[in-house]
Amino acid sequence: MTVLQKLKNAVRKRSIHVCYVNTGSCNGCDIEILACLAPKYDIEQYGIYVHNNPREADVILVTGGMSTQWLDKLPDLWDRVPEPKAVVTIGNCPISGCVFNRPGKLIDPPVSKYIPVTAAVPGCPPRPSEIISAILGAADILFKDYEIHQKEKKGGSHK
Amino acid sequence: MTLFSYISEFLRPSWIKSFFTVKTPPLVSPPYFRDFPTLTGKECTHCLNCKMICPSPGAIDVIQTAGVWNPRIIQGHCVRCGYCVEACPEGVLTSGDLLARKKEQGLLFTHEYSIKIDTGKCMGCGNCTTACPVNREIDPQIGAGGTSFSDQVLIRVEHGKNTVLHNELCKGCKTCMETCPNGAIHVIRKVTAVQEAK
Repeated sequence: MTVLQKLKNAVRKRSIHVCYVNTGSCNGCDIEILACLAPKYDIEQYGIYVHNNPREADVILVTGGMSTQWLDKLPDLWDRVPEPKAVVTIGNCPISGCVFNRPGKLIDPPVSKYIPVTAAVPGCPPRPSEIISAILGAADILFKDYEIHQKEKKGGSHK
Repeated sequence: MTLFSYISEFLRPSWIKSFFTVKTPPLVSPPYFRDFPTLTGKECTHCLNCKMICPSPGAIDVIQTAGVWNPRIIQGHCVRCGYCVEACPEGVLTSGDLLARKKEQGLLFTHEYSIKIDTGKCMGCGNCTTACPVNREIDPQIGAGGTSFSDQVLIRVEHGKNTVLHNELCKGCKTCMETCPNGAIHVIRKVTAVQEAK
């Protein structure tokens, strides 16, 4: 591993930029994400920063069960996120639709049908501690040695 | 404050360490946190009270593995309301301090299910009657049109109309509601919580 890669790993571990997208949730999960920002949990001490701009983000937090207005917009937004990127879904809605998944519904869960999901946090809503550990876990797996993994992937495709 | 004291304040190793590392306690849940229900190891009697009280679709199933019935919580559907923990008469499930609090308060749940049939919408097709799991257990010979010779069944079609014979047999599974093409049949689940007087 080169020194540059080591430096990149160290920096990426302490600088995860997060953008949250509400695809038709009831705001319960959004409030739990806000609780992460508050002093009790203080998401910034883990090196996670909130930017509500997908072009600056590393991790996208998706809440809500994909309402029909988001069906084309969420994959479009996902394309705008620079590499390396990850999706962490918050709450039950992106997994199953939860209480909104009734006959005659206007949502189309799961979110993983539309964008690749790295981690899903179940709960209605999940605890802030669960959200933070999911973001940290997903970022550790995806962003560590990212360039090396990309090279390995490209080498594999040439064979 | 001189510049020197300012710099020496910020060059202390303990200050630098606390600046670059996490300061709040580790990410643990408190013991009273109502997490996803887990099994206590007590014997499940397959009464399905937990499944009937569950407010979210597809969150709990009672499944049989190696001859033993046990409830299973499906994460991603469960909303952690804790109703199943409180409704279970055997105390099979536990979550946080919910079970201890239930014992302390002497909380008791009684279930009551009643079937309502909209006679204007019902066309007597017998879908609900043949689909009903209670009916099939009592009279396996039940006719395709929902007619039955047995008068011990829960519901049966009489003179082209669906009639409820034994309301108290209903387990509240709502299978009849799902199979009805007209939306004529409704199962009302009524749960009463009683707290013991001290």
